[in-house]
Amino acid sequence: MSAIAEPRLGGHDDHHPPVAHASSRVNASLLGIYLFLASEAMLFGSFFAAYFFARVAAKPETWPPEPYHLPVFLAGVNTIILVTSSFTVHWALHSIKTNHRTGLIAGLGLTMGLGLTFLLIQITEYLRIGFSPRDLAFGSTFYGLTGLHGLHVFVGLCLLAIAFWRAVRGQYSPEKHLGVEIPGIYWHFVDVMWIVVYVTVYVI
Amino acid sequence: MAVDVLEHGQLEHHEVAPPAYPGGIRRFTKGGWLRALWTTPLAFGLATALVCGIRWGAHWDPVWDLAPLLTAWTIVTPIGFLIGMGAFDYWFYWISGQRTRPEDHSAHGADSWRDYLRINTDHKVIGVQYVVTTFSFYLIAGVLALFVRAELAQPGSDFVNTQSYNGLVSAHAGLMIFLFIVPIFAGFGNYVIPLMIGAPDMAFPRLNALSFWMLPIAGLIMLCGFLLPGGQFAAGWTNYAPLAEVNPVGNIMFQMGVQWAGASSIATALNFLVTIITMRAPGMTFWRMPLLVWANFTTSLLVVLATPFLAGSQFMLLLDRVLHTNFFVAENGGYVIGYQHIFWFYSHPAVYIMILPGFGIISEIIAVFSRKPVFGYRLMALSLVAILILGFSVWAHHMFVAGMAPWLRIPMMITTLLIAVPTGIKVFSWLATMWEGRIHFRTPMLFAIGFISMFVIGGLSGIYLGSVPIDIHASDTYFIVAHIHYVLFGGSVFTIFAGAYFWFPKMTGRMYNERLGKIHFWTTFVAFNVTFFPMHYVGLQGMPRRVADYAPQFADWNMVSSIGAFALGASTMLFIYNVVVSWNRGEPAPSNPWRSMTIEWQLPSPPSKFNFDEIPQVVGGPYEYGVPGARHAVFQGTGVEVKEPEKVGAH
Amino acid sequence: MRKSLIIQLLLLGVVVGAISAAVGFLIPWLPELGSTQGKRIDDIYVLTSIICLAIFTVVAAVSIYTFFKFRAKPDDYEDGAPIHGNTVLEAVWTAIPAALVTIIGVYSAVVLVKNEHVPANAPVIEVTAQQFVWSFTYPEIGVTSGILRVKEGETYELKMQSRDVIHSFWVPQWRVKQDVVPGIETTIVVTPTKTGTFPMICTELCGLGHSTMRTSAIVLSAADYDKWAEEQKSAAEAGGAESGKQVFVNAGCGGCHILADAGGAGEVGPSLDKVLPELTADQIRESIVDPNKVITPSYQPNVMPGDYGDTLSDEQLGALVDSLVSTSQKG
Ligand code: HEA
Ligand code: HEA
Ligand code: HEC
Ligand code: CUA
Ligand SMILES: [Cu+2]
Repeated sequence: MSAIAEPRLGGHDDHHPPVAHASSRVNASLLGIYLFLASEAMLFGSFFAAYFFARVAAKPETWPPEPYHLPVFLAGVNTIILVTSSFTVHWALHSIKTNHRTGLIAGLGLTMGLGLTFLLIQITEYLRIGFSPRDLAFGSTFYGLTGLHGLHVFVGLCLLAIAFWRAVRGQYSPEKHLGVEIPGIYWHFVDVMWIVVYVTVYVI
Repeated sequence: MAVDVLEHGQLEHHEVAPPAYPGGIRRFTKGGWLRALWTTPLAFGLATALVCGIRWGAHWDPVWDLAPLLTAWTIVTPIGFLIGMGAFDYWFYWISGQRTRPEDHSAHGADSWRDYLRINTDHKVIGVQYVVTTFSFYLIAGVLALFVRAELAQPGSDFVNTQSYNGLVSAHAGLMIFLFIVPIFAGFGNYVIPLMIGAPDMAFPRLNALSFWMLPIAGLIMLCGFLLPGGQFAAGWTNYAPLAEVNPVGNIMFQMGVQWAGASSIATALNFLVTIITMRAPGMTFWRMPLLVWANFTTSLLVVLATPFLAGSQFMLLLDRVLHTNFFVAENGGYVIGYQHIFWFYSHPAVYIMILPGFGIISEIIAVFSRKPVFGYRLMALSLVAILILGFSVWAHHMFVAGMAPWLRIPMMITTLLIAVPTGIKVFSWLATMWEGRIHFRTPMLFAIGFISMFVIGGLSGIYLGSVPIDIHASDTYFIVAHIHYVLFGGSVFTIFAGAYFWFPKMTGRMYNERLGKIHFWTTFVAFNVTFFPMHYVGLQGMPRRVADYAPQFADWNMVSSIGAFALGASTMLFIYNVVVSWNRGEPAPSNPWRSMTIEWQLPSPPSKFNFDEIPQVVGGPYEYGVPGARHAVFQGTGVEVKEPEKVGAH
Repeated sequence: MRKSLIIQLLLLGVVVGAISAAVGFLIPWLPELGSTQGKRIDDIYVLTSIICLAIFTVVAAVSIYTFFKFRAKPDDYEDGAPIHGNTVLEAVWTAIPAALVTIIGVYSAVVLVKNEHVPANAPVIEVTAQQFVWSFTYPEIGVTSGILRVKEGETYELKMQSRDVIHSFWVPQWRVKQDVVPGIETTIVVTPTKTGTFPMICTELCGLGHSTMRTSAIVLSAADYDKWAEEQKSAAEAGGAESGKQVFVNAGCGGCHILADAGGAGEVGPSLDKVLPELTADQIRESIVDPNKVITPSYQPNVMPGDYGDTLSDEQLGALVDSLVSTSQKG
């Protein structure tokens, strides 16, 4: 348990730690998740690096190499779905801040629905795209980036599911909703990352 | 992992936690070794079934394929073990949707040695766990080095065959770097930093415990490589593609071991950052933090931002092998040198990850034992930041002869050489701190002063390498091996010994034997130079690195190096003896044997379970030696008047 | 008091400096010099040494002096003077190193540019690396050899390619080194200036045979080189088909095996002079086509390339085996 976390339990005997001094206005957990996401962004960075090495440094004749091409439109639809889900998760958070539990549950549910749709579309795209991770560095880096992102969507969905479950069981209140806020931040990150992936891999 | 402390401090109700030491069958269901005893093999079996099941279902031949199996084993089995040990219990409970439990602190602190062998959330326990575990890996890696030196004592491939030799070298370096140097600094930091900044613990104690337990896992994975068909990973610690991809399956043990070690190091770094930012005692501004805290702060930033590149590089290697992707397969459009860019984008910052905390330790020690304030405190802190920033812009100096884009070499050379400037500031400031001091040459101080000259030799050989034309001649020779060991042994290891002696009284509550400590220093100092100094010469003369066999003209100096290496082994024995005996029977340590001003020394040795009864108030800089009446921190209870003194700084 | 400290320190500095200079310049750190490029590298090496030894002298002298001079008695509980810093000093030790490394950097950049300049008519040698053999093709002569032969004073451009993993080309006396990377072509520019035979070493870990991936670079005088080139040319033109001996040379066997008759001098594999007399023609053929089938005692599998069966044509293989049988009978 976090030591900062126990304002009420601060004691002076050997059984409870004293209350830590809050030397920053930032909440520790929020700071933690932001740093974690910085680290995650760098992980994506390494795959982007590999992507550009294959695309630029290895001097392929065409990109995408013949005969492959990418379903730019379908992925665009997917982008819109994911962007929408960022708004729904924001709505969920806003709802619990203003003490609307139904809004919270609906918002989380909707977000999960959209996220799941995104994943399913992604999987169908994989099945019909006509190349596999084994097909040239092009295939590897394409699946590398989109797959890494898909994995993050999956993790995000799990986090949302936990938040949803706890929301259903009534564990959140206007004062206490970090458990919604943090998956929300994560979800926004997944969303922003997708836009970067989409623009790099599909558009330019 | 990020979900760690979501609900802390916001709970209204709680349920009673189960008793700490249950009996009967519940001993096998409560987190601990007994539960791990069955969850670990269960996870192993599951991983096997999963891989074989999929391969069987998909008609892939053979069903029993070691590469995917090893991948699954090294991912799933450790998770099974961690679940068994109870590392995730709290989070599972939280996921189940229950109301959060209040912390009962049953997992905090140590009353007996057994408490060091379980998931423990006390940063002091974790610190000791880290230091002891990583030092054990040092001994193992050191013994591997002795095998290496035994092979190299004479020309000819006489002791092991060449593939095993490459395996020995790779495992030596892999363990030294990822399981000794990088994590042992996290260990010292864990123990000392919360105390130094006046915090009762780290920000995320459970994550902290998890970080520690990932380490032995990483180490075991790497060591298991020796047992595999084809032998240990043998492509060097740099594991360059495509050799790493055609290496026997043992290479997966490096790729996966590094993932666990990397995850551990990211989690700890994140913890340090949050702790340092949010939990400093009142009055502890950034400009009043001890330099060790500064050093860990900058190091942690490096870790958080750079380590993912290591993870990425090893994942791509793994995918290339297991899924037959083409990230680094030249025939299929992959870019071979891309691996090196990604790897070094981590691994160059990593060499500063391996030295900056050492700089911090040295700053503490030199100030205390010279009885003088650190010279130019602010510039000392800022030079750390400068190294942090420059450190991200020099990675390609490892690739001057690699065939990368030629235009990249000159800018990278300039930034590389410029790192001498902030590093020089640190060196000169240490010397100035000692100048006209009243120096007590206790063992930590001996190691500190030895560190300065040895590290400067290593840093200066780095300047030779930083110059592209010289590097073209010296790259991949024993000159590099000499550089590595002067910065990593003469640098990092010396600071580790210095820190180990320095905080030994605090951590164990007992004093070490000073005489033995001094003998240890002098033997290490001499044996170290005997071992590694000749390597500069043989390298420039024409002996490449990573060879089991070499031209007869280098025989004499290699024999000298080998003798030196065994002497180093003997000197290490002195240290082990000193630690073991003193820990058991040493004189009880006073709370502040070195008359230091930093907060950890104002507490009993060892400090109480929760560090403080009350958080101290910081009223001045940490190194105000010789300033009449100056205090760094006061405890309300001491009755000392709390007043804000004037600013302390460099000038 | 202060002044005398400084004077003592200066004296110590002179002593330490003299010792460092002696270690730095009296010991011949670098091997014999054999190329124009190497000369420039040696110059920058000397410059860097002067700077680094000076820096080391300062640090070592202060450390040693401090060690003896500022030692406190064990019962001395006094503190030192509370000096927090000195702006001028700090500026000095920021500026001077910055200036010194800039000098090194600029000079290095100049050397680099000069060293990589290729004259317009530089002859090209194609270098191919594979586990664990080097081979050198001379487009002008039309031969391939396992040993590098070059003419003294000529500036060469070596174009290098790898068949499998990364290797690295190094001739210590020439001071040139460059990785050979699969998928790209890397180059080396070198002007040998000294005749003789020098070791050519692979310096990038390339697998179990890395430590044995060595051959020789032979620098010939212009006359000797032309003679050798003529011989090669006429031999190639004469028969049309290569002789077994040529196959032996061109396939790089000599890089690993001793065979006096064909100039093989490598010590990675067993000496063929010694083992051939005990082998039948079939055994020799098998050892070449499928080297891992029978491993000569005290040697390792997977060192000898396994693809000679594919890279050599049937005629070449036949000629090679024939000549190996006949050499062994001669001897
Ligand atoms: C703790 C680890 C550590 C540290 C701190 C350093 C520090 C430095 N290193 Fe080193 N390095 C390694 C660990 C480290 N290195 C390792 C492990 C490798 C090999 C990896 C492998 O391939 O296996 C390596 C390899 C390596 C190479 C690649 C060589 C090659 O493979 O071809 C280069 C090239 O530029 C280099 C340069 C430097 C430089 C310029 C510094 C500088 O930071 C040094 C700065 C310090 C000083 C210069 C001394 C103090 C300064 C003064 C007293 C001021 C005045 C000085 C001057 C004016 C010059 N290092
Ligand atoms: C932190 C880093 C670190 C440390 C401390 C060391 C320590 C040592 N290293 Fe290592 N080394 C590296 C990092 C390190 N090394 C790296 C990164 C490489 C490059 C690898 C590569 O090319 O990929 C390398 C490579 C390397 C080589 C080059 C191999 C080659 O290129 O072919 C050699 C050769 O001599 C060597 C030797 C040694 C020796 C003799 C020690 C000694 O200092 C060790 C001293 C310690 C001991 C001797 C242990 C003492 C223990 C006992 C005596 C047992 C007691 C046991 C009990 C009581 C249970 N090392
Ligand atoms: C990279 C090193 C290397 C190269 C190149 C090489 N060999 Fe070998 N050779 C070996 C090694 C090592 C062995 C011993 C291990 C074995 O039997 O495979 C060997 C074994 C042999 C043997 C068997 C000797 C015995 O005692 O049975 C013969 C014959 C032979 N090589 C011929 C050749 C010929 C002909 C070529 C060139 C076409 C060649 N080798 C190229 C390394 C090499
Ligand atoms: Cu080829 Cu080493
Ligand atoms: Cu580096």
